[in-house]
Amino acid sequence: MRAFLRTDQHVRPLGLLALCIVVLTLADWGQGRFLSGATAFSTFEIFATTGPVALGLGLTMMIREFDLSVIGMFNLAGCIAVITGGGSPWIGLGLALAAGLAGGFAQGFIIVRLRLGSVAVTLGGLLVFNGLALVLSENRSLPYDNMPLALDLKAPLAAVLSIRSVVALTIFAVAAVVMAVTRIGRDVIAIGSDRRAAMIAGVDVNELMIGIFAFSGVCAALSGVLLSYSLASASVSEASVILVPAAASAILGGVSLGGGTGRPLGIGIGVLVLAVLGTGFNAIGAPPYVNDIAMGAILLTVAILDGPYLIRRLSGLRRRAAPH
Amino acid sequence: MSEPMSPWRKGPAVPAMPKRWRQLVVGGRRRLVVIRAAFTIGLAVLALTTPGFLSRPSLSALLTTVSFVGCVAVGMTLITLSGNIMSFSLGALVGVTAMIFTAASNWGGLAFGFAAALAAGALMNAAQGLVIGWAGANPIVTSIAALALIYGAVEAIGAGATVYPQADVSYGIFKRGIVGIPFEFITFMFVTVIGQLILFFTIFGRNLYMVGGSLRAAEAVGVRAWRTISGAYLWAGVFSALAGIMLAIRYSSADMDFGLGYEYQAIAAVLVGGTVVKGGEGSVVQTFAGTLIIAIIEVVLLLKGLRQEWQYLLAGLLVLAVVVLQTRGTGD
Repeated sequence: MRAFLRTDQHVRPLGLLALCIVVLTLADWGQGRFLSGATAFSTFEIFATTGPVALGLGLTMMIREFDLSVIGMFNLAGCIAVITGGGSPWIGLGLALAAGLAGGFAQGFIIVRLRLGSVAVTLGGLLVFNGLALVLSENRSLPYDNMPLALDLKAPLAAVLSIRSVVALTIFAVAAVVMAVTRIGRDVIAIGSDRRAAMIAGVDVNELMIGIFAFSGVCAALSGVLLSYSLASASVSEASVILVPAAASAILGGVSLGGGTGRPLGIGIGVLVLAVLGTGFNAIGAPPYVNDIAMGAILLTVAILDGPYLIRRLSGLRRRAAPH
Repeated sequence: MSEPMSPWRKGPAVPAMPKRWRQLVVGGRRRLVVIRAAFTIGLAVLALTTPGFLSRPSLSALLTTVSFVGCVAVGMTLITLSGNIMSFSLGALVGVTAMIFTAASNWGGLAFGFAAALAAGALMNAAQGLVIGWAGANPIVTSIAALALIYGAVEAIGAGATVYPQADVSYGIFKRGIVGIPFEFITFMFVTVIGQLILFFTIFGRNLYMVGGSLRAAEAVGVRAWRTISGAYLWAGVFSALAGIMLAIRYSSADMDFGLGYEYQAIAAVLVGGTVVKGGEGSVVQTFAGTLIIAIIEVVLLLKGLRQEWQYLLAGLLVLAVVVLQTRGTGD
């Protein structure tokens, strides 16, 4: 049991989630603002927005890459869906997901075939997708004339969920099952740990990498479409709105920046941690900047602790400080 | 971002590249020079034949607007050269230094405003550089964290709103310009010259190219890479702060929207100018050219009646093309 607690990658994010809930409950003691159905509902609504993006980004981080283009695809998919989904929302959804798949696939193909760094290529992708989204939306908010759909997507299911959050949760469940029971899961970890060794061991590195970038594109697109449909409008949002929480949740969920660690459910819990913090701070009346600062502090701490030279530098300092 | 140098290093798998891809890659270098020259000439012809381009108001507006992003791009060049790709927080830094400049000028006069804004920009960015260089923290994640922290801190201090200069603070002398050239563009040229002098004539500059080219090799010959990387971030902070100050002066106000999206426009200018995204190769003068190229495209598109959004799309396509063509098949 102790070995399980120490090695299972879900323990740390789960512990963090529990800690957040306990601290916020104590901060709100006796006032009932935090532990309520409304807070839980908005927590899952935030989960539905950032969750799929964080999952796609997290998977690319697990193979030691980084997909910056998720924000661009998130914006672009929303615009495509709202523009083409006038007749039937399914057409908009289908076209937006196709764009996500094609965009992700193209980037993965370039990265693998030309052996380019993923940050550089997806930076190009981000600028292109965002540019397309700006051209399509003419840099204003595009209205979507389907209020019933927006209300349906936001209507509470089983008190705390909505169609949108059920979709997001389903993606996480499917990804978790696929990663746990099929070869893909082990192969992803192998690529992230030591790509050359994975290739020698017979993993089809290139195919899997392209697949993960395509998946990341689809996830970002899906998230963008669902948000635009539920808001009944699409616009190009700022990078920080979605990239900061997505990266932070993947890291909180146990994905290391060096690749090779992390699980889909862990990422899901990481998203929940941030969502709980966001709605919790809001519920107990903390000002909105607390959330920004908390997220920034978490990201910075993890970036420093994950820094490959930190241990060496610290032991160097200790040696210098010790008397000779 | 360094890799161990053993042949078994981690990193992208190294399958034999198909021949047609390899050719594209190996010939890419020379081809890129030809493509860039042809592109620049084509652009110049297009610009000069577009009615209205050479008119004075059009040129003056172009030179002014290009300078804000230009200064940030010069700073971003140093970060890219150091091997850390880009910083996501430079846009936020522009906004916050503009606000610091305005608030500090109100309190202690213009000179104090300049000093406070430049020092704040240098410190905030050098801190990031220190974390990245000393602990080896991931530069992308560090700058995203800094972005969130800067926005959070600005709101926490209660300065979420716009800051205006007091009536007794006059920016008049900075709004005139010299022989018809806007003051902003003179600053941009000055920053470019300073940046280029730093790169070519100081030990720091020489070290920067070495660290960006190969961090391990630089450390092996005794370069303290963390100092060099921190220095690159520090200068990037100073140059971004200059952009913030110029914006605050031009608009006689300051808020966090000032630098919105500047980091993307800046990295686009850096890459279009030809600085290699992996670091170690490129220069500030090239970024100057890259900034002008993107700005000229913008003006030509506007004069041809296309909306401004097309400029972002075109810049994105240019960056993607440059990234793909830049490769020399060395992995990473």
